[in-house]
Amino acid sequence: MIEAHSLTKTYGAKTAVDQVSFTVRPGLVTGFLGPNGAGKSTTMRMIVGLDRPTSGSVTVNGRAYRDSHAPLHEVGVLLDAKAVHSGRSAYSHLLALGATHGIGASRVKEVIEMTGLDSVAKKRVGGFSLGMGQRLGIAAAMIGDPGTLILDEPVNGLDPEGVVWVRELVRFLASEGRTVLLSSHLMSEMALTADHIIVLGKGRVLADAPLAEMMNASTVSSVRAVSPQAGDIARLLVSPDVTITSVDAQTLEITGLTSAAVGEAAARAGLVLHELTPLKGSLEDAYMNLTADSVEYRTQSAVTHPAATQAAAPQTAAPQAAAPQAAAPQAAAAQSAPSQPASNPEVSR
Amino acid sequence: MTTAAPAPVASTHHASSIRLSTGGILRSEWIKLRTLRSTVWAYAIMLVIQIAFGLLIVSVSVNREGFARTASAGDAGGLATFGAVSGVAFAQLVVSVLGVMVIAGEYTTGQIRSSLVAVPKRLAVLWAKIVVFGVVTFIVSLVGILLTYLVTSPILAGAGVSSSLFDDGVFLTFVGAAGYLALIGILALVIGAVVRSTAGGIAVALGLLLVAPAVFSLIPADWAHSIADWLPGSAGGDIYSSGGTFEWWQALLIVIGWIVVVGAAAATLLRRRDA
Repeated sequence: MIEAHSLTKTYGAKTAVDQVSFTVRPGLVTGFLGPNGAGKSTTMRMIVGLDRPTSGSVTVNGRAYRDSHAPLHEVGVLLDAKAVHSGRSAYSHLLALGATHGIGASRVKEVIEMTGLDSVAKKRVGGFSLGMGQRLGIAAAMIGDPGTLILDEPVNGLDPEGVVWVRELVRFLASEGRTVLLSSHLMSEMALTADHIIVLGKGRVLADAPLAEMMNASTVSSVRAVSPQAGDIARLLVSPDVTITSVDAQTLEITGLTSAAVGEAAARAGLVLHELTPLKGSLEDAYMNLTADSVEYRTQSAVTHPAATQAAAPQTAAPQAAAPQAAAPQAAAAQSAPSQPASNPEVSR
Repeated sequence: MTTAAPAPVASTHHASSIRLSTGGILRSEWIKLRTLRSTVWAYAIMLVIQIAFGLLIVSVSVNREGFARTASAGDAGGLATFGAVSGVAFAQLVVSVLGVMVIAGEYTTGQIRSSLVAVPKRLAVLWAKIVVFGVVTFIVSLVGILLTYLVTSPILAGAGVSSSLFDDGVFLTFVGAAGYLALIGILALVIGAVVRSTAGGIAVALGLLLVAPAVFSLIPADWAHSIADWLPGSAGGDIYSSGGTFEWWQALLIVIGWIVVVGAAAATLLRRRDA
């Protein structure tokens, strides 16, 4: 369990991480998603005490990382591929790292085998490819048999086989009940690996939601309506094919109707609209929007509006994209996935 | 590289046996020191320099005119020790470079992040490096000096000068010289910890040893000459050779003082700076 409270890191006038709060839970793969420079690495470095927060705090299992009696057993961390002296062999590096915690050669051999480094273990790290460097970093992260893993861009530089291997590894580790936090700037990779996603952009948390919810919220075309009479509009639009979620007292997100239909319905009833915005696009688009805009807006923790009816149609198109691989994650994540608003995107437009 | 199933991840260790400890950190630093080729090379070069220089000095002295007279004047022990420690002035350059590399090399390569993740309280890493590097350098230096003594004493004996390791002050002189090399190495290490760059650290360490004494001696003022006397390279020589500005224990305190001041700066910066 990693808990960050208002973490902030400034470098001179530049704010790299800005009031970031989040919780990473055990048994799940949590993804840190954001473009380069979003503050993912800085946040991860602050978790393990390599960077000192300008303000705010972060704990691992309830205490600061530096206060742990067995840091490598608490957290395994892959920060950048080559946080290793280039003149030392992979084996010696791991042996020296483990020695601090009384971890001996037998465990070193285990993690070398586990990461497939057997053939190069005695070679100097300076000659390693990026992919081998990543495997060594993962071996180093695993050496203390940690309850929490923090992996910064673990698939960076790996060949396709390695990518699949990392994906399976982190899923397996989470299934063992470990806490896993990994970062990526690739939405597609996250969609295949993570159960829960925290989107960072310009140092802030833009979204923090289970993967399934992110999928639903962002792959379905919907319409956002802002009105002082939101409740009346919701009642007006109720129909079996329409899902209405209430973001706040004045804001609705409507799935299953076009913005034109919503606008005309409101006009006919003489209701005031302050805003009417079509929201559409793929998960990738949603991510781009989230991270590119300087405007901070959150993927709501969708609470279905009381006045709205759940769509009767079966869950089809949108979840299908995620279904094959989401099935496994959700099995593990079942308890954390809140009631998903049912949707029927086939009806829209 | 085939890695099929991510199966054996759980450690066979009992969880409670995995624990950060001072002994573990020392062992880790020892592994780090001995597993770099640069360490092995540097110590090997140091030994070669010490022995070669001792041989050179002694051979030249023996063949010099009037040597026999000096020798018979009763300075046999002095000559023998002088030959054995004559390489120290050069060995200290190698030791300084190695001392800087021990820590600055970690910053240059990124290794420091791995080291500090394993030891998040940080300072223990610096202390362990100082202890391990200091002890190893002391031992290697002492071995070098003894080897030099071993190969040079037959030459001296051939010229009619015989001495023993158990003569008054001989062994103590060797210990002092080895201690001096260890301390100079440690000073270079803490300089490297402040500078965090191999090239920069070596420049500062060698500048302090070689350039600073010359610069201060050139300034025609008493204060400048006093400063020159107090520099680690000049005062340090008095640890193992008599007749200098300071008593051996004063010289020892001066060099330790340098280490304490620079080391305190290194420790403060290590705690405060982001890695």
